[in-house]
Parts: sequence; C-alpha cells; structure tokens
Amino acid sequence: MIFILNGKETSYTGNPSARLLDVLRDEFRLTGVKCGCKEGECGACSVIMNGLLVNSCMVAMGTVSGCTITTIEGYRETSRYKVLDKAFSSVSAVQCGFCIPGMVLAAECILAKNPHPTEDEIRIGISGNLCRCTGYNAIVNAIAIAAKEGNGIW
Amino acid sequence: MVEYYQPTTLKEALEIRVSKNVVPYAGGTDLMIEGNENTTYLFLNKVCELCRIYEDSGYVHIGATATYEKILSSDIVPQILKESVSQIAAPAIRNLGTMGGNIGNGSAKADTALVCFAVDAKLVLASVNGTRIVNIDEFYLGRKKLDLAENELITEILIPKDNLSNYCYSKVGARNALAISRVSFAGVLILKDGNISNISCAFGAVADTVLRYKDVEKMLIGKTIEEASALKQDFLSEYATRIVPIKGRVSIEYRKAVCLNLLTDFLTKNDI
Repeated sequence: MIFILNGKETSYTGNPSARLLDVLRDEFRLTGVKCGCKEGECGACSVIMNGLLVNSCMVAMGTVSGCTITTIEGYRETSRYKVLDKAFSSVSAVQCGFCIPGMVLAAECILAKNPHPTEDEIRIGISGNLCRCTGYNAIVNAIAIAAKEGNGIW
Repeated sequence: MVEYYQPTTLKEALEIRVSKNVVPYAGGTDLMIEGNENTTYLFLNKVCELCRIYEDSGYVHIGATATYEKILSSDIVPQILKESVSQIAAPAIRNLGTMGGNIGNGSAKADTALVCFAVDAKLVLASVNGTRIVNIDEFYLGRKKLDLAENELITEILIPKDNLSNYCYSKVGARNALAISRVSFAGVLILKDGNISNISCAFGAVADTVLRYKDVEKMLIGKTIEEASALKQDFLSEYATRIVPIKGRVSIEYRKAVCLNLLTDFLTKNDI
C-alpha cells in the first residue's frame, strides 16, 4: 500500500493489521511518535492523518492506504512548528518531554481549525493528550501565545 | 501473511462478509485496544455509502461509519445525540470512532447506545440477502450479545427527528475527557397540551444492556406536571426496585444511588 508520510510517497508491504504506531517507530524509525498506552488514552502517539489528529495506536495499517500522515519529524520542518517551538520554550511548557510531540501536533490541529481559540477550546483540543509534569497551564498558555505570535500563518 | 479486505461499495463489503472470516472494522478505536495482529479485518473506511448522514421525513439516518466528528459537525443530527458524542473520549478518538462501531461492540457502556435507547432508535442491518430494520432494544440481547448475524453489517442508525427537544443527558465518569461511563442517563420528556405525551428514562453502564422500563414510564404518560409530581415517589421507588446494577469498576451501591440521583435530577428539572 502507498501513502504519504511526512510529504514523501511511501510504500508499506507488511501486516495490514499492524498498528500505525508500531510501524512508524519500528520500520520507519520515527521515534518522535511515542508509545504510552496503546489504548487511545494518552495521546503520546498522536499523528496527523488527512489533516485530523489521530492516535496512531488506534490505526491499523490497512486504513492508511492513500492517506497523508504527518509526524513530529515532518511537522518540525514547517514555519508553524517554529512558532509553537518558540512559544512552548518561552513559558517552559516542556518538562520531561514525552507528551510533547503529540501535544504539539494537537496544538497544530487546534490552530488549523481555529487560529484564535479560546482557553476552553485549547483545553478541549488537548484533552486527549496527557501530561504528567506541567499541570497543563503552561501548555495552554504556550498555545495561546503561538496563536497570537503566529497571527496569519494558521 | 495476514490478509485484509478494503471494499469500496457496500455490495462488495457484504459479499466479503458472507464468504470470508473477517472482523468488520469501522473506526478501529475499540478493536485496536486489543490490536490482534493476526485478525483479518474488513476495513469499511472506503465504503462511501456507509458514512453518509441524511434525513427523510421521520428519521435522521446516520451511516454506521460516519465518525463522531462528522456527527458533531452535522446540522441535522438531534442535539441529544450531539451532547453524548461531544463527551466521548477526546478529539483524536472522535476523529476516528463511529456510532456503528460503538453499537456493534456490544457494550452497555456505549454512550451512543444509551441515546439510541432513550429515543427509540432503529438500526438498519444489511446482508447479501437484503436489509432488515430492528429496534435498538431488540438488537441488544445481553452482554456483548447482539441480534446481528455472521453475514450482516450495521449500515445505518435511524434517529427519530421529532419529540426530542426536551432532553437530559448525564455522563458520570472519573474525569471529563477519555472517561468510560460509570453511570450514564438519558431522558426525554415531551408535553402536549399540558400533558406528558412522551417520557423515556434510560440508564447506561449499569447492567448487561442499557436499562429502560417502558411500563414504568407509562405511569406518567397523559399526566400533567402536577399529577406527575404527586406520583414522583412511587415512580422513583419503582426504579429503585427494578434497577439491579452489576458490579464493575464501581460498586453496585454507588451505581444504584447515582442512577436514582440522575433520575431525580431529570424529574426536578422538569418541575416534577
């Protein structure tokens, strides 16, 4: 099967019932996609599939055929990432960092849908991404700062 | 090598369903928890006929593989269902998960199944031999037991369009997002000319299937709010007798108390 992975046409001939998470990490070595729970509860494995945030542990490879997948490794090449990177750094929104690849992609999906979200909308947007370090407030602030500083690019 | 099937039409999907040993895969968000790599899936994500949301004079038709996100963004889906769907899991799950999968998984904790019971929804089931329509309460036969033949697929959920405006939906979970219901309640109460013309009280995540007692509801049908208020204690006592929760993540006593509290809240909100 053929799909677009981080902008490049990619083929996969392995097990169609395998998890996208495992294939991204083990076959394509995209280890920015973190494995937390394998049951859709933590958001650490979040990727963007056809423009929507999904948990890659919840996706069987068979459904990926023809899709566009973006992981943090692809997203970090964008100008939007740079705005989020700076905003997260500015308020120390990253501590251990395990949730951050998924959190940043969740932030991208929030801002792509709504460039000027309210605090509530940000909190709903990251509600599937667990962070055990920050208590979330710094992350929510970072996304709000990115929305302001990145005005016009989303 | 594990095989897979990814049809693009319903006809093709039904032919595979009857002739191969496959597990139908809609959004995958329940199936992939187990994530058995030896399972042969029948992926339904490319069957456009199954993901439509449309209406006729009596019902909103929700395609079995329409995602929660699509249900939430639809202008024609009744609010009671949207309220339930908006509280399921979190955005990433709502981008994949489907109502067909939620119901087909057979759990009494399925949040959309609860709404289906409360609104008397029907399911359209299809096989190569044709289609049939079943009432939701007849579809659930017991814990994880469904009136769904080995050759059938759920194709649509039919939600009645009328008499759903005054509703109550409550989900009690451990937290707001990503929570499995510990107890959930959906109720509808409609007044016509000052009399209760329609009332439903459904309880999810309590027993092997969603609980609803139409014979008890009849106590209040045709009554005014004042008359219903006079019957309130009898009505609640009947539920206190009938509801026998099973033990799960929370105790039987807790589940029962919450059921009765949610029912009381629903009645109180309606001045009963």
